[in-house]
Amino acid sequence: MTSANAGSLSAPRGLPLEFRSLSKQFGTVRAVDDLSFTVQPGRVTGFLGPNGSGKTTTLRILLGLVHPTSGTATIAGRRYQDLENPTATVGAVLEATSFHPARRARTHLRMAARAGGHDVTRADEVLELVGLGGDARRKAGTFSLGMRQRLELATALIGDPDILVLDEPSNGLDPQGIAWLRDFMRYLAGEGRTVLVSSHLLAEMAQTIDDAIIVSFGQLKAQGTLAQITSHLTGLSMRARSPEADRLCHVLGQAGLPFRRLGPDEVAIDGVTPEQVGPLLASNQVVLYELVQEGADLEQVFLSLTSGLGFGAVAQGTPGAVGVSDR
Amino acid sequence: MIDAIRAELIKMRSMPGVWVTFGLAFPLAVLICVAVLARAGGPLGHTFSHVHTLRQRRELLGAGYFGLEVLAPVMGLLCVTGEYRHKTMTTTFVLRPVRSQVLGAKVVATALWSVLLALLTLVAVVAVGLPWNAALGGVTSQVTDQLGAVVPGLVLSAILLGLFGLGFGTLVKNQIAAILLTIGGTLVLESILIALARAIFHYDLNWLPNGAGAALAGDIARGLGGGGRGAGFHLLTWWQGGLVMLAWGFVPLVAGYFTTFRRDVT
Repeated sequence: MTSANAGSLSAPRGLPLEFRSLSKQFGTVRAVDDLSFTVQPGRVTGFLGPNGSGKTTTLRILLGLVHPTSGTATIAGRRYQDLENPTATVGAVLEATSFHPARRARTHLRMAARAGGHDVTRADEVLELVGLGGDARRKAGTFSLGMRQRLELATALIGDPDILVLDEPSNGLDPQGIAWLRDFMRYLAGEGRTVLVSSHLLAEMAQTIDDAIIVSFGQLKAQGTLAQITSHLTGLSMRARSPEADRLCHVLGQAGLPFRRLGPDEVAIDGVTPEQVGPLLASNQVVLYELVQEGADLEQVFLSLTSGLGFGAVAQGTPGAVGVSDR
Repeated sequence: MIDAIRAELIKMRSMPGVWVTFGLAFPLAVLICVAVLARAGGPLGHTFSHVHTLRQRRELLGAGYFGLEVLAPVMGLLCVTGEYRHKTMTTTFVLRPVRSQVLGAKVVATALWSVLLALLTLVAVVAVGLPWNAALGGVTSQVTDQLGAVVPGLVLSAILLGLFGLGFGTLVKNQIAAILLTIGGTLVLESILIALARAIFHYDLNWLPNGAGAALAGDIARGLGGGGRGAGFHLLTWWQGGLVMLAWGFVPLVAGYFTTFRRDVT
């Protein structure tokens, strides 16, 4: 199973996904609330949010499955249902069980190829691509959850799309499968495709995505590059380890820098850069074992932004200009 | 649109339920052939005889209609309710986001498979009914002379009954409920309504789906699984039956399209 033969039928186009003032009301529930963001091509973008935050509804609106109450979700300015060749533009994985259990994997994909207006030989190509080549004649109902996810992915790839929209694609995958999916998404983005992936597996996402969009209660909470969100957004914080922690604190105090004692030999220094701290400690000849810049990890950011608490509640620092919503 | 139709044909070909309807159509047609030849010999169970009258000839030729009454609608509703049952509608609408195209493709695919179902019942008649009738002393050409009166209507009825099932399935998305309602409506409810209408109002309730289909299929199926349509029951003319069947086929289809089919898929 390799991504080297991802099989471009034509060079993928880099197409952005644009969500503008998108809202969706289900009865009394506002699933999506004035959501606006853009997903850029050539990058893997994580769409993160707790259960019921409107992620799936947003993706379904993009694909024309759910009608928005207001606003638009477009692919390079056009609605999905208005695209000339939808499956060659967008491939989507939305559910892990979206096939007839009595249908063989190859038959399912041939059907998908026909429906999308593609050559049926594409079915075998994508089966190989997702590592199910040897299971082409097996009925989908006999597949494990991980195999079903792969079959869903194969369905999404049937038209060699420019954009991949994946809703919780790693559900049910084993560690090897998750690693493969990560490499595969990165490979596709590297080809210039747009990859939008929603997931709850934040540690996994942190290893995969370039950009992150965080939503809660249908509202945008943050968007930016992963580095911006997990580092710049949290403000700067340094951790220093020294056998002369007392003298280190004295030097910092004299320089007017805020610090916190973390342990006998550990000190946190807030709101400064390594370029500021390093020369200061060197000129005072403070012995250091370690000087590390730290930011909150994705999980901390996610939990703080989606818990209804401001980010500052868990991480001190100055909110950056990375598009953080206070709503 | 051709691609969408071909995709729907692949779907139907790979659904076990569709093959079950085909598996039942042949023996049911044979069973009705047996009943027609038995009735031609006098009271049922007395003896077998070749068909004598015009009506008997048409009933032998259209023996498959009894099965089609039930199986064609069931096949039509499997085409759409199977999608909801197995949650494949999401994939279907992602692959073909214009929903009117999806429904149009299902209409064509159901019609084509219904034609095959009708032809299969004719194969049963040709393979079993006609040779047996000939063995009983009947003249095969006297039966086959009625091909023009029965077969086009039989095939058209099968198509419209299939579309009725498709439309009904579009309205009632739950597959089990839709099948039970279809079979119950076909075999039980229609017969009861006909009997009640005759007994109370002295009115031939001949515009219900199977009665209309029977009229279209050459004035057949009267009393042979014909949904309570006994002697003296007035069927519509074939063209009236055709129009009524057209309504039964397309009214639920259009209603289903504008209600459930266009709803959000969540």
